[in-house]
Amino acid sequence: MSAGTADRAGAKVAALAEALVHLGAERADQLSGAILVVPRAAIHQAAATAREHGFDLLLDVFAIDWLTYPGHGGPRFSVSYHVHAVAANERCSLRVQLDDGDALPTVTDVWPAAAFMEREVYDLFGVVFEGHPDLRKLVTPEDLEGHPLRKDFPLGESPTLFNDGRFLDPATFRAGMIGASQGRTGWIGGARKGVLSAAIEADGKGGDA
Amino acid sequence: MKLERGRTAVQEMGRGALALEETGEFETKLMRINVGPQHPSTHGVLRLVVDLDGERIVRLTPQVGYLHTGFEKTMENRTYQQVVTYSNRMDYAHSFGHDLAYVLSAEQLVDAKVPERAQRVRVLLTELNRMASHLLFLGTGILDMGALTLFFYTMRERERILQLFEMVTGVRMNYGYFRVGGLSYDLPEGFEDKARAFLDDFPKMVEQYADMFAKNDIFVNRTKGVGVIPPEVAIANGLTGPSLRASGIALDQRKAAPYSGYEDYDFDVPTSTAGDANARIMMRFAEFEQSMKICRQALDRLEPGPIKDPDRRISLPPRRELETSMEAVIFHFKLVTEGFHPPRAESYVATESARGELGYHLVSDGGSMPYRVKIRVPSLVNLQSLEATCVGGLFADMVVNIASIDPVMGDVDK
Amino acid sequence: MGLTDVFEKDVMELEKDGILFSTLGRLVAWGRSNSLWPATFGLACCAIEMMQSTNAHHDMARLGSEVFRASPRQADVMIVSGRLSKKMAPVMRRVYEQMPNPKWVISMGACASSGGMFNNYAIVQNVDSVVPVDVYVPGCPPRPEALIYAVLQLQKKVRGETFDEAGIELPMVEGWAR
Ligand code: SF4
Repeated sequence: MSAGTADRAGAKVAALAEALVHLGAERADQLSGAILVVPRAAIHQAAATAREHGFDLLLDVFAIDWLTYPGHGGPRFSVSYHVHAVAANERCSLRVQLDDGDALPTVTDVWPAAAFMEREVYDLFGVVFEGHPDLRKLVTPEDLEGHPLRKDFPLGESPTLFNDGRFLDPATFRAGMIGASQGRTGWIGGARKGVLSAAIEADGKGGDA
Repeated sequence: MKLERGRTAVQEMGRGALALEETGEFETKLMRINVGPQHPSTHGVLRLVVDLDGERIVRLTPQVGYLHTGFEKTMENRTYQQVVTYSNRMDYAHSFGHDLAYVLSAEQLVDAKVPERAQRVRVLLTELNRMASHLLFLGTGILDMGALTLFFYTMRERERILQLFEMVTGVRMNYGYFRVGGLSYDLPEGFEDKARAFLDDFPKMVEQYADMFAKNDIFVNRTKGVGVIPPEVAIANGLTGPSLRASGIALDQRKAAPYSGYEDYDFDVPTSTAGDANARIMMRFAEFEQSMKICRQALDRLEPGPIKDPDRRISLPPRRELETSMEAVIFHFKLVTEGFHPPRAESYVATESARGELGYHLVSDGGSMPYRVKIRVPSLVNLQSLEATCVGGLFADMVVNIASIDPVMGDVDK
Repeated sequence: MGLTDVFEKDVMELEKDGILFSTLGRLVAWGRSNSLWPATFGLACCAIEMMQSTNAHHDMARLGSEVFRASPRQADVMIVSGRLSKKMAPVMRRVYEQMPNPKWVISMGACASSGGMFNNYAIVQNVDSVVPVDVYVPGCPPRPEALIYAVLQLQKKVRGETFDEAGIELPMVEGWAR
């Protein structure tokens, strides 16, 4: 199978994790690669440490809004810094968790490449980066209020109008299709490998998987 | 006035003005100029606000977002297979590259086993697309410098590649041919011969005009020594792809972390140490050769076989089975309406697109639609190097610099 | 038909018989229809196909429409090729207003005509809410042939050879509107 990035976390990443332990970093690896979860207060120091350890190429800064993630307890947002060590060919992510309204220190002084990325996160999620030289919206129009990639921002679909004057609301239709709700198709899905499969197997009626 | 090679008369004059200014005989005022978003030489809807001191650029601020399409948000509301329709519309010059990056990441989530043939076909098409993308880049890049003829030459070759793609996918652009778990259907009959014929013709066709780049005095003078990016600056600004390799750093994800079986192919990563616009543009010619090499090897190793993961939870059952098996119909219905449910995880596979590192960061919440899609697009990050190349240079060189880092606005704005 | 008959007949009737086949206005419209210069207004993927339609293989120059003008002041047609974001819409309106009369708009591609597959917060769902559109081209992206067909249709419209939904002939563009 195609190699993922998981096997690109070797000695360098281990050394970095070691160096960050005293800051309270924990390792929480995913399929996407090594992730070091750092407390919010220590992120700038952690970034500087990573830079010293040879992680010189900042690939990406991105946020995740955990608002509607099933079973998620902690703070609402997490911001990840995906870094790559060019000489050692290793990579990992630094990740911080923060609540709505919390600010982060900028890392543009560590990696100048962060300038656009942090602006993007600010624009789409509303996370403020303190000390950023030019923190403005990046992609959305000036007059757009809100931060589109937050989970409570609507997708903004306009309904589909048929020739006979009937409207179809795309979101409802989709919910019906994927079985999240009955929707307009009147079909309740989710019985195969999804939520109901365990119940069916317990019933002894299984065998459709 | 005797000119040293690599400098135009205009540049000499600019220097003269500089000298005057340094001696204090010349007082200048900054002038702010807006370029774009609708401008012929900014490669789409890029807008730049430039502060000029005479002919010299003092400050440059790229303003992006004029093609913001809301890809990430839309993808979060589509099932995993449906996302394939969107990914290719982002970087429309290298569509297959985006498709590949997405399906690889999604396959990592569901742990799909992609058959050998599908992987070869993917590599073959992606490399052909890389060539088409570079051709488009060369044509429009030199068009920005005022040479119209070459545009027609490169478009001629690109047309042939598009015809190959049309044969396979039925469309000329925005293919959506890869699926999570394989391909949507097999290659048509006769494709391999056509592809081979094209690969045989291509070097001859490029030969007709390669010298029009390499030995064209106007082109060389306008690009040599212009917009130099030293390797440290390139890394600090997050530059990747051919533009980074032109600054002397051999970072190529196809070698650094091979995916889709790239480890089996024999190819080199061309680099250059000059780091100027000329090196960045000529880098694409060097990449043609490597791409052709990979395409040939992929064609040689193409053997008949399955093109999809046989796992019925991911890929659709074969068409003929639908007529005989009730179960196949049920699977088909479920997959088409509901899609599959990957386990909760995060995935990312770094790929090398024609512009740099490209990857889809997917977060799954166990549902049939990705919870979060974050696309690491090369063009947006590469755009940050524009400041390093342009500030201090001449205004006329700005166009060359934009062209040489090859931003595709769909890729920048998402 | 004798010469006296010609003078007795109504001008309109004569035109129907094909006698006065070319008033000066018609000549102007004919000339104009064969040199529709598009403004460079490439937005997204469709713009690549727009570029491809001028290449040697498709050769839009046959129709006199190959000269893509960088300045809207020199253009007759705006080909809106691609998805129009809400941030770009005012810019596009501005460009349209800068074009001299008479001017036409071709809406190229599903996105420009209807929002296409991007039914979301960022994309204008139809460009005809921003500028008046003369020809819609379906496709994602439309083939260069489709764009060429659209230009042919537009030429007909300029020459006054088109009909509305009720079958009434639409007037040709005013001869001296410029
Ligand atoms: S219609 Fe299709 S090809 Fe054209 S801009 Fe929209 S997505 Fe791109």
